[in-house]
Amino acid sequence: MARPHIEPFVDRDVSFRKFTMPGFPKGMQYKMLSLDPDNGACTMTVMFEPGYRQPPGMSYSEYELFIMTGSITVGDKVHGPGSYFMVPAGVSIGALSSPRGATGLLFYNYGEPSFVESDSDHPRAERHKFAVVNSYDDMQWTSTNFFPATAPGCLVKVLHFDERTQAFTFLYCMTPNFWQDNISYHDCAEEAYHIWGTSWMMQFGDLPTGGYFYRPPYINHGAFGCKLGTLAIGRTDSRLYNHFHFNPWTNVEENRERAASRVQHWMPDLYKWINTHGHNHPVDFEFTHGHAHGDTPHHHGDGMVEHSHKKKRRRRK
Amino acid sequence: MKSIPHKRSREVEAWLKREITEQKARYRKIVAEQDALEPKRTKWVAEFLQRIQSRGTHVHFNIMRKVRPEEIPVQPKRKFRVVV
Repeated sequence: MARPHIEPFVDRDVSFRKFTMPGFPKGMQYKMLSLDPDNGACTMTVMFEPGYRQPPGMSYSEYELFIMTGSITVGDKVHGPGSYFMVPAGVSIGALSSPRGATGLLFYNYGEPSFVESDSDHPRAERHKFAVVNSYDDMQWTSTNFFPATAPGCLVKVLHFDERTQAFTFLYCMTPNFWQDNISYHDCAEEAYHIWGTSWMMQFGDLPTGGYFYRPPYINHGAFGCKLGTLAIGRTDSRLYNHFHFNPWTNVEENRERAASRVQHWMPDLYKWINTHGHNHPVDFEFTHGHAHGDTPHHHGDGMVEHSHKKKRRRRK
Repeated sequence: MKSIPHKRSREVEAWLKREITEQKARYRKIVAEQDALEPKRTKWVAEFLQRIQSRGTHVHFNIMRKVRPEEIPVQPKRKFRVVV
Protein backbone atom coordinates (compact mmCIF):
# COMPACT_ATOMS: atom_id res chain seq x y z
CA MET A 1 0.00 0.00 0.00
CA ALA A 2 1.25 3.45 -0.88
CA ARG A 3 0.08 6.76 0.56
CA PRO A 4 -3.71 7.08 0.72
CA HIS A 5 -5.70 9.75 -1.04
CA ILE A 6 -5.56 12.76 1.29
CA GLU A 7 -7.60 15.51 -0.35
CA PRO A 8 -8.23 18.11 0.81
CA PHE A 9 -6.46 18.65 4.11
CA VAL A 10 -5.89 22.10 5.56
CA ASP A 11 -2.96 22.24 7.96
CA ARG A 12 -4.22 25.53 9.46
CA ASP A 13 -6.90 23.43 11.14
CA VAL A 14 -4.37 21.55 13.29
CA SER A 15 -1.62 22.64 15.68
CA PHE A 16 2.09 22.11 15.41
CA ARG A 17 3.51 19.51 17.76
CA LYS A 18 6.99 18.58 18.81
CA PHE A 19 8.97 16.44 16.40
CA THR A 20 10.30 13.65 18.58
CA MET A 21 11.73 11.36 15.92
CA PRO A 22 14.92 9.80 17.30
CA GLY A 23 18.11 11.39 15.98
CA PHE A 24 16.68 14.87 15.40
CA PRO A 25 17.65 17.72 17.69
CA LYS A 26 15.02 19.38 19.86
CA GLY A 27 13.34 22.52 18.59
CA MET A 28 11.49 21.33 15.53
CA GLN A 29 7.71 21.03 15.32
CA TYR A 30 5.59 19.47 12.61
CA LYS A 31 2.18 18.78 11.12
CA MET A 32 1.91 15.52 9.21
CA LEU A 33 0.37 16.00 5.77
CA SER A 34 0.68 12.49 4.34
CA LEU A 35 2.57 9.31 5.08
CA ASP A 36 3.31 6.08 3.25
CA PRO A 37 2.52 3.27 5.72
CA ASP A 38 4.97 0.92 4.02
CA ASN A 39 8.20 2.84 3.76
CA GLY A 40 7.52 5.84 6.02
CA ALA A 41 7.93 8.39 3.22
CA CYS A 42 6.04 11.50 4.24
CA THR A 43 5.39 15.18 3.73
CA MET A 44 5.22 17.55 6.67
CA THR A 45 4.80 21.22 7.40
CA VAL A 46 7.63 22.02 9.80
CA MET A 47 8.52 24.86 12.13
CA PHE A 48 12.06 25.49 13.31
CA GLU A 49 11.77 27.23 16.67
CA PRO A 50 13.87 30.38 17.17
CA GLY A 51 17.34 29.25 18.19
CA TYR A 52 17.06 25.84 16.49
CA ARG A 53 20.44 24.24 15.88
CA GLN A 54 21.21 21.06 14.01
CA PRO A 55 24.74 19.69 13.55
CA PRO A 56 26.01 18.58 10.13
CA GLY A 57 24.25 15.39 9.12
CA MET A 58 22.55 13.20 6.54
CA SER A 59 19.30 11.32 5.97
CA TYR A 60 18.84 7.76 4.73
CA SER A 61 16.12 9.02 2.38
CA GLU A 62 16.26 11.69 -0.27
CA TYR A 63 14.45 14.77 1.00
CA GLU A 64 13.39 18.21 -0.17
CA LEU A 65 13.02 21.27 2.02
CA PHE A 66 11.16 24.43 1.04
CA ILE A 67 11.28 27.50 3.27
CA MET A 68 7.99 29.43 3.51
CA THR A 69 8.61 32.00 6.24
CA GLY A 70 11.60 33.13 8.30
CA SER A 71 15.06 31.85 7.46
CA ILE A 72 17.55 29.11 8.13
CA THR A 73 21.32 29.26 8.00
CA VAL A 74 23.21 26.34 6.48
CA GLY A 75 26.94 26.64 6.85
CA ASP A 76 27.42 30.39 6.62
CA LYS A 77 24.64 31.12 4.14
CA VAL A 78 21.21 32.44 5.09
CA HIS A 79 18.24 31.00 3.19
CA GLY A 80 14.95 32.88 3.34
CA PRO A 81 11.45 32.33 1.95
CA GLY A 82 11.41 30.53 -1.38
CA SER A 83 14.62 28.63 -0.70
CA TYR A 84 14.51 25.08 -1.95
CA PHE A 85 16.89 22.25 -1.07
CA MET A 86 17.09 18.92 -2.87
CA VAL A 87 19.17 16.63 -0.65
CA PRO A 88 19.88 13.14 -1.99
CA ALA A 89 20.07 10.21 0.44
CA GLY A 90 23.32 10.15 2.36
CA VAL A 91 24.43 13.67 1.45
CA SER A 92 25.64 15.52 4.52
CA ILE A 93 24.58 19.14 4.76
CA GLY A 94 26.39 21.61 6.98
CA ALA A 95 25.27 22.78 10.38
CA LEU A 96 21.74 24.18 10.15
CA SER A 97 20.36 26.82 12.46
CA SER A 98 17.43 29.17 12.61
CA PRO A 99 18.17 32.07 14.98
CA ARG A 100 14.73 33.67 14.50
CA GLY A 101 12.73 30.63 13.46
CA ALA A 102 11.28 29.47 10.16
CA THR A 103 8.47 27.43 8.66
CA GLY A 104 8.76 25.15 5.68
CA LEU A 105 7.77 21.95 4.01
CA LEU A 106 9.78 18.74 4.31
CA PHE A 107 9.31 16.01 1.74
CA TYR A 108 10.88 12.64 2.61
CA ASN A 109 10.27 10.90 -0.65
CA TYR A 110 11.45 7.31 -0.18
CA GLY A 111 11.69 6.57 3.54
CA GLU A 112 10.85 7.82 7.00
CA PRO A 113 12.52 10.99 8.30
CA SER A 114 15.97 10.24 9.61
CA PHE A 115 18.93 12.27 10.75
CA VAL A 116 22.42 10.92 11.32
CA GLU A 117 25.03 13.33 12.61
CA SER A 118 27.94 13.29 10.17
CA ASP A 119 30.18 15.84 8.52
CA SER A 120 30.86 13.58 5.56
CA ASP A 121 28.69 11.91 2.94
CA HIS A 122 27.57 8.28 3.11
CA PRO A 123 29.59 6.15 0.61
CA ARG A 124 26.43 5.66 -1.48
CA ALA A 125 25.48 9.34 -1.56
CA GLU A 126 24.99 11.03 -4.93
CA ARG A 127 26.46 14.41 -4.04
CA HIS A 128 26.17 15.70 -7.63
CA LYS A 129 22.37 15.68 -7.29
CA PHE A 130 22.37 18.06 -4.34
CA ALA A 131 20.78 21.39 -5.28
CA VAL A 132 19.83 24.66 -3.58
CA VAL A 133 17.98 27.52 -5.22
CA ASN A 134 15.95 30.52 -4.12
CA SER A 135 12.87 30.01 -6.23
CA TYR A 136 11.41 33.46 -5.45
CA ASP A 137 14.46 35.56 -6.30
CA ASP A 138 16.44 33.49 -8.78
CA MET A 139 13.85 31.87 -11.05
CA GLN A 140 11.17 33.22 -13.37
CA TRP A 141 7.69 31.95 -14.12
CA THR A 142 7.22 29.96 -17.32
CA SER A 143 4.22 28.44 -19.03
CA THR A 144 3.76 24.72 -18.47
CA ASN A 145 5.42 22.91 -21.35
CA PHE A 146 3.40 19.71 -21.17
CA PHE A 147 1.21 18.63 -24.06
CA PRO A 148 -1.68 18.90 -23.60
CA ALA A 149 -1.14 21.88 -21.34
CA THR A 150 -3.07 23.47 -18.54
CA ALA A 151 -5.07 26.58 -19.44
CA PRO A 152 -3.36 29.98 -19.75
CA GLY A 153 -2.73 31.52 -16.35
CA CYS A 154 -1.14 28.52 -14.69
CA LEU A 155 2.60 29.18 -14.50
CA VAL A 156 5.43 27.10 -13.09
CA LYS A 157 9.00 27.16 -11.86
CA VAL A 158 10.57 23.71 -12.03
CA LEU A 159 12.70 23.20 -8.92
CA HIS A 160 13.78 19.64 -9.51
CA PHE A 161 13.50 17.14 -12.35
CA ASP A 162 14.46 13.49 -11.99
CA GLU A 163 16.02 12.28 -15.23
CA ARG A 164 15.08 8.69 -14.73
CA THR A 165 11.51 8.83 -13.40
CA GLN A 166 10.65 12.29 -14.77
CA ALA A 167 9.26 13.06 -11.33
CA PHE A 168 9.45 16.76 -10.68
CA THR A 169 8.95 19.34 -8.00
CA PHE A 170 7.62 22.71 -8.97
CA LEU A 171 6.33 25.98 -7.72
CA TYR A 172 3.12 26.93 -9.48
CA CYS A 173 0.79 29.86 -9.49
CA MET A 174 -2.67 30.49 -10.79
CA THR A 175 -3.34 34.04 -11.88
CA PRO A 176 -6.44 35.85 -10.60
CA ASN A 177 -9.55 34.62 -12.39
CA PHE A 178 -7.84 31.49 -13.68
CA TRP A 179 -10.22 28.86 -14.94
CA GLN A 180 -9.91 25.57 -16.73
CA ASP A 181 -13.01 23.73 -17.83
CA ASN A 182 -12.00 20.10 -18.11
CA ILE A 183 -11.31 17.13 -15.86
CA SER A 184 -7.80 15.79 -15.55
CA TYR A 185 -6.03 12.75 -14.16
CA HIS A 186 -2.46 11.54 -14.32
CA ASP A 187 -0.50 8.29 -14.37
CA CYS A 188 1.59 9.62 -11.51
CA ALA A 189 0.81 10.46 -7.91
CA GLU A 190 0.97 14.15 -7.14
CA GLU A 191 0.89 16.29 -4.05
CA ALA A 192 0.63 20.03 -3.56
CA TYR A 193 0.49 22.61 -0.81
CA HIS A 194 -1.00 26.09 -1.02
CA ILE A 195 1.55 28.61 0.23
CA TRP A 196 -0.93 31.39 -0.35
CA GLY A 197 -4.36 31.69 -1.94
CA THR A 198 -7.49 29.69 -2.58
CA SER A 199 -8.31 27.62 -5.62
CA TRP A 200 -11.38 25.55 -6.39
CA MET A 201 -11.92 22.12 -7.88
CA MET A 202 -15.26 20.71 -8.90
CA GLN A 203 -14.78 17.51 -6.85
CA PHE A 204 -13.29 18.89 -3.66
CA GLY A 205 -14.41 22.52 -3.37
CA ASP A 206 -12.08 25.26 -2.11
CA LEU A 207 -8.44 24.64 -1.17
CA PRO A 208 -7.28 27.64 0.89
CA THR A 209 -3.88 28.80 2.16
CA GLY A 210 -2.35 25.87 4.03
CA GLY A 211 -4.42 23.45 1.93
CA TYR A 212 -2.76 20.24 0.87
CA PHE A 213 -3.48 17.12 -1.13
CA TYR A 214 -1.77 13.83 -1.86
CA ARG A 215 -3.50 12.31 -4.85
CA PRO A 216 -2.67 8.79 -6.09
CA PRO A 217 -2.74 8.13 -9.86
CA TYR A 218 -5.88 8.15 -12.02
CA ILE A 219 -8.09 10.25 -9.74
CA ASN A 220 -10.30 12.83 -11.43
CA HIS A 221 -9.74 16.48 -10.54
CA GLY A 222 -11.13 19.57 -12.20
CA ALA A 223 -12.76 21.71 -13.47
CA PHE A 224 -10.57 24.35 -11.87
CA GLY A 225 -10.98 27.95 -10.81
CA CYS A 226 -9.14 30.60 -8.84
CA LYS A 227 -10.58 34.05 -8.09
CA LEU A 228 -7.70 35.94 -6.48
CA GLY A 229 -4.59 33.96 -7.41
CA THR A 230 -2.68 31.15 -5.74
CA LEU A 231 0.94 30.32 -5.03
CA ALA A 232 1.66 26.66 -4.38
CA ILE A 233 4.33 23.97 -4.46
CA GLY A 234 3.71 20.62 -6.11
CA ARG A 235 5.53 17.36 -6.60
CA THR A 236 4.97 14.24 -8.69
CA ASP A 237 6.48 10.77 -8.22
CA SER A 238 6.96 10.14 -11.94
CA ARG A 239 6.10 11.62 -15.33
CA LEU A 240 3.04 13.85 -15.39
CA TYR A 241 0.72 13.58 -18.36
CA ASN A 242 -2.58 15.44 -18.46
CA HIS A 243 -5.28 12.96 -19.42
CA PHE A 244 -8.08 15.45 -20.07
CA HIS A 245 -11.74 14.59 -20.47
CA PHE A 246 -15.17 15.85 -19.39
CA ASN A 247 -16.87 12.89 -17.72
CA PRO A 248 -17.23 13.72 -13.99
CA TRP A 249 -18.18 10.19 -13.00
CA THR A 250 -15.38 7.95 -14.26
CA ASN A 251 -13.53 6.01 -11.59
CA VAL A 252 -9.88 5.03 -11.11
CA GLU A 253 -10.26 1.70 -12.93
CA GLU A 254 -11.88 3.32 -15.96
CA ASN A 255 -9.30 6.09 -16.04
CA ARG A 256 -6.41 3.62 -15.83
CA GLU A 257 -7.97 1.48 -18.55
CA ARG A 258 -8.30 4.54 -20.77
CA ALA A 259 -4.67 5.48 -20.12
CA ALA A 260 -3.52 1.97 -21.06
CA SER A 261 -5.64 2.09 -24.20
CA ARG A 262 -4.01 5.39 -25.11
CA VAL A 263 -0.53 3.88 -24.67
CA GLN A 264 -1.64 1.07 -26.97
CA HIS A 265 -2.49 3.63 -29.66
CA TRP A 266 0.32 6.07 -29.06
CA MET A 267 3.14 3.50 -28.75
CA PRO A 268 1.80 0.37 -30.43
CA ASP A 269 5.16 -1.29 -30.95
CA LEU A 270 6.26 -0.78 -27.35
CA TYR A 271 2.86 -1.88 -26.06
CA LYS A 272 3.07 -5.09 -28.06
CA TRP A 273 6.62 -5.75 -26.89
CA ILE A 274 5.67 -5.30 -23.22
CA ASN A 275 2.70 -7.62 -23.62
CA THR A 276 4.48 -10.39 -25.45
CA HIS A 277 7.69 -10.74 -23.45
CA GLY A 278 7.35 -13.23 -20.60
CA HIS A 279 10.09 -11.75 -18.48
CA ASN A 280 9.31 -8.09 -18.53
CA HIS A 281 12.48 -6.56 -17.27
CA PRO A 282 13.44 -3.70 -19.53
CA VAL A 283 16.91 -2.35 -18.98
CA ASP A 284 17.73 1.29 -19.51
CA PHE A 285 21.26 1.43 -20.88
CA GLU A 286 21.71 4.86 -19.30
CA PHE A 287 21.07 3.59 -15.79
CA THR A 288 22.24 0.77 -13.62
CA HIS A 289 20.51 -2.55 -14.15
CA GLY A 290 17.48 -2.83 -11.88
CA HIS A 291 18.35 -6.20 -10.38
CA ALA A 292 21.59 -4.79 -9.06
CA HIS A 293 19.84 -2.35 -6.76
CA GLY A 294 16.35 -3.82 -6.80
CA ASP A 295 14.91 -0.42 -7.64
CA THR A 296 13.29 -1.19 -10.98
CA PRO A 297 9.70 -2.46 -10.92
CA HIS A 298 9.43 -5.51 -13.16
CA HIS A 299 7.62 -8.83 -13.27
CA HIS A 300 8.23 -12.35 -14.44
CA GLY A 301 5.21 -12.82 -16.63
CA ASP A 302 2.79 -12.73 -13.70
CA GLY A 303 2.23 -8.97 -13.63
CA MET A 304 3.43 -8.75 -10.01
CA VAL A 305 5.73 -5.76 -10.16
CA GLU A 306 5.83 -5.15 -6.41
CA HIS A 307 8.45 -7.70 -5.50
CA SER A 308 12.11 -7.64 -4.68
CA HIS A 309 15.07 -9.91 -5.17
CA LYS A 310 17.36 -11.15 -2.50
CA LYS A 311 21.01 -10.75 -3.16
CA LYS A 312 22.35 -13.93 -4.70
CA ARG A 313 25.17 -15.56 -2.83
CA ARG A 314 28.20 -16.30 -4.90
CA ARG A 315 29.46 -19.83 -4.70
CA ARG A 316 33.02 -20.21 -3.66
CA LYS A 317 35.10 -22.02 -6.21
CA MET B 1 19.96 5.86 -4.84
CA LYS B 2 16.73 7.27 -3.42
CA SER B 3 17.15 5.73 -0.01
CA ILE B 4 19.92 3.89 1.76
CA PRO B 5 19.03 0.59 3.42
CA HIS B 6 19.13 0.86 7.20
CA LYS B 7 17.54 -0.67 10.26
CA ARG B 8 14.74 1.18 12.04
CA SER B 9 14.86 1.49 15.79
CA ARG B 10 11.93 0.48 17.98
CA GLU B 11 11.24 4.17 18.69
CA VAL B 12 11.02 4.94 14.99
CA GLU B 13 8.64 2.01 14.45
CA ALA B 14 6.46 3.31 17.30
CA TRP B 15 6.44 6.82 15.85
CA LEU B 16 5.38 5.47 12.45
CA LYS B 17 2.66 3.32 13.99
CA ARG B 18 1.21 6.35 15.76
CA GLU B 19 1.29 8.44 12.61
CA ILE B 20 -0.35 5.70 10.55
CA THR B 21 -3.19 5.44 13.06
CA GLU B 22 -3.71 9.20 13.01
CA GLN B 23 -3.65 9.25 9.22
CA LYS B 24 -6.43 6.67 9.11
CA ALA B 25 -8.56 8.94 11.30
CA ARG B 26 -7.69 11.95 9.12
CA TYR B 27 -8.68 10.00 6.02
CA ARG B 28 -12.07 9.03 7.50
CA LYS B 29 -12.74 12.67 8.41
CA ILE B 30 -11.92 13.80 4.87
CA VAL B 31 -14.26 11.18 3.39
CA ALA B 32 -17.07 12.32 5.70
CA GLU B 33 -16.50 15.99 4.81
CA GLN B 34 -16.45 15.20 1.10
CA ASP B 35 -19.63 13.14 1.37
CA ALA B 36 -21.28 16.15 3.00
CA LEU B 37 -20.25 18.29 0.03
CA GLU B 38 -22.34 16.15 -2.33
CA PRO B 39 -25.28 18.61 -2.84
CA LYS B 40 -22.92 21.44 -3.80
CA ARG B 41 -20.91 19.10 -6.02
CA THR B 42 -24.05 18.02 -7.86
CA LYS B 43 -24.76 21.67 -8.64
CA TRP B 44 -21.14 22.31 -9.74
CA VAL B 45 -21.22 19.28 -12.06
CA ALA B 46 -24.49 20.43 -13.64
CA GLU B 47 -23.02 23.90 -14.23
CA PHE B 48 -19.85 22.39 -15.69
CA LEU B 49 -21.80 20.23 -18.11
CA GLN B 50 -23.68 23.36 -19.25
CA ARG B 51 -20.51 25.45 -19.65
CA ILE B 52 -18.69 22.87 -21.79
CA GLN B 53 -21.64 22.95 -24.21
CA SER B 54 -21.82 26.73 -24.41
CA ARG B 55 -18.25 27.99 -23.85
CA GLY B 56 -16.42 24.73 -24.48
CA THR B 57 -13.98 22.41 -22.72
CA HIS B 58 -10.23 22.94 -22.62
CA VAL B 59 -8.41 20.56 -24.95
CA HIS B 60 -4.91 22.08 -24.82
CA PHE B 61 -3.79 25.41 -23.31
CA ASN B 62 -6.23 27.97 -24.77
CA ILE B 63 -7.74 25.61 -27.32
CA MET B 64 -11.33 24.77 -26.45
CA ARG B 65 -14.08 22.88 -28.17
CA LYS B 66 -17.82 22.89 -27.61
CA VAL B 67 -19.22 19.55 -26.50
CA ARG B 68 -22.30 18.37 -28.39
CA PRO B 69 -25.39 17.47 -26.30
CA GLU B 70 -25.15 13.81 -27.34
CA GLU B 71 -21.60 13.65 -25.95
CA ILE B 72 -22.66 14.63 -22.45
CA PRO B 73 -22.11 11.62 -20.18
CA VAL B 74 -24.89 10.11 -18.12
CA GLN B 75 -24.30 9.59 -14.41
CA PRO B 76 -23.93 5.89 -13.58
CA LYS B 77 -26.05 4.43 -10.78
CA ARG B 78 -23.06 3.63 -8.53
CA LYS B 79 -22.05 5.93 -5.68
CA PHE B 80 -20.08 8.98 -6.83
CA ARG B 81 -16.89 8.82 -4.77
CA VAL B 82 -14.30 11.56 -5.15
CA VAL B 83 -11.94 10.41 -2.39
CA VAL B 84 -10.62 6.99 -3.31
